[in-house]
Amino acid sequence: MSAYNDLLGIERPLPPERSFSRLYWDATREKRLVIQYDRSADAYQFYPRPTSIYTGRRGDLEWREVSGKGALFSYTIVRRARPPFRDKEPYIVAMITLDEGVNVMSNLIHCTQDQLATGLRVRPYWESLPDGRHLLLFEPDA
Amino acid sequence: MALHDMAIIGYAETKIVLKSEVDVWELGAEILDQLLERTGFEKGEIDGLILSSSSTGAGNIFWSQTTADQLALELNFCQTVDIGGSSPVGAVARAAAAIDAGLCETVLCLFADTAVAENNGRPRSYGAEWTTPYGYLGAPMAFGMLSQYYDDKFGLDSRALGKLAVAQRDHAMLNENACEKLRKPITIDDYVNSRMINDPIRLLDCVMPCDGASGLLMTRRDRAERRGITKCAVPIGYGERTNVGAASAIVDPTLTGHRQAGERAFAQAGLKPGDIGSFHPYDDFIIAIMMQLEMLGFCPRGQGAAFINETDFLFSGDLPLNTGGGQISAGQCGLAGGGTNLIEAVRQLFGEGGPRQVANSATALVTGIGGIPYGRNWNSSTVLILSSNA
Repeated sequence: MSAYNDLLGIERPLPPERSFSRLYWDATREKRLVIQYDRSADAYQFYPRPTSIYTGRRGDLEWREVSGKGALFSYTIVRRARPPFRDKEPYIVAMITLDEGVNVMSNLIHCTQDQLATGLRVRPYWESLPDGRHLLLFEPDA
Repeated sequence: MALHDMAIIGYAETKIVLKSEVDVWELGAEILDQLLERTGFEKGEIDGLILSSSSTGAGNIFWSQTTADQLALELNFCQTVDIGGSSPVGAVARAAAAIDAGLCETVLCLFADTAVAENNGRPRSYGAEWTTPYGYLGAPMAFGMLSQYYDDKFGLDSRALGKLAVAQRDHAMLNENACEKLRKPITIDDYVNSRMINDPIRLLDCVMPCDGASGLLMTRRDRAERRGITKCAVPIGYGERTNVGAASAIVDPTLTGHRQAGERAFAQAGLKPGDIGSFHPYDDFIIAIMMQLEMLGFCPRGQGAAFINETDFLFSGDLPLNTGGGQISAGQCGLAGGGTNLIEAVRQLFGEGGPRQVANSATALVTGIGGIPYGRNWNSSTVLILSSNA
């Protein structure tokens, strides 16, 4: 059993969508991860922005589906939280570097104390939201 | 900008409290009253007002105007600086720029926040969409991840960090304006043994939210001299950097905008770190002090702990650190909290440090930190170097 709370099934605050992030959220309905890619910079970016973080231009931005596999960049064990996460501590908030070269913040679940270390390989775990979308979590890619 | 043509001719601050019993505008009035008393200026001579960010004022899109109205100031220049904890130091640079541009002559920089008693802030950011659903609460968790990254890369020396915490607490004991709850001595063991909040961030790494206000009056140096004001603090170097690593999808959180801001400020001042008489870094978390020592060039990157272990940070030591206790040991006045570091630096240059007066009151360095971006360190870094009028 994990030493950390996996936070599954709790009523999380629903993420709003913006005009420029809707495609991301739409894809999560099918548990697909799509992120922005700038053709001219040949580089990905996350979180979704209204423009390319590389050039400031919009014309070369497109959405690409990625595997969601990556490695743990950094993390913190949360021991003091506010509702609805209060009394669910301890849990892990982490930055994950996707194999495509972007950092994503999320919860790391199904992770033991022994596994928890920078560099740990992880894969996506889709937690369902009440409106049919899914929230991207990560678990060890064992 | 002719920064060094400007003079800070007076400073003021309220006592920092756990929760203000009085309105934020009454705190502002107290600062104005103190400044008029100390400088001999008339209210009608103040023709510029620059406010810091304020959680209490945050819900008010007319914050600077309504504050001017409450304080009955008739102005040629009126604005709020919204770079969070960086805004008090940023306000000094903007006041100098406004005076230099001829927009106004004498500026009240006012930093007032009663975030505990009345927080009206509702930031529109990446947060609700990309971090809040994960039980992420902003600064303490950002610093948790940052500290873990630092530990993996360079190793964290908790006793070295504790030494910084203890030095600041010793200074708060000598500061009557520090929040009373914090005016109790601590030891390095107390720091190391304080409970984890977000590993590896401990309770004694963190600022305590408080209420209070501070402020200063700035005018042209020659104008001050004509009025016989000789005691003043002169800004001689400034740098500001926002959104460091903006064009990168992965940012090393141990690299901050203080590197660029510091290089600019030191070059403008013609000084180097070893010349600084006292050091007043923005301190929301203890590790931020160590990172600023590294980014500002007091020591090489990743070697903050070694520098800390060989340096005496007491007011009487080689590099006096936040001699009023900093925000961590005096209390954080919301988004106005950077004023606590700033005002203490000015006080030292005025030679009015009393029982905590530093020996070298020729120069002081103050910084600001403002805002928490997505998975990096902080949004805005400011660096201000001040000189006494000697």
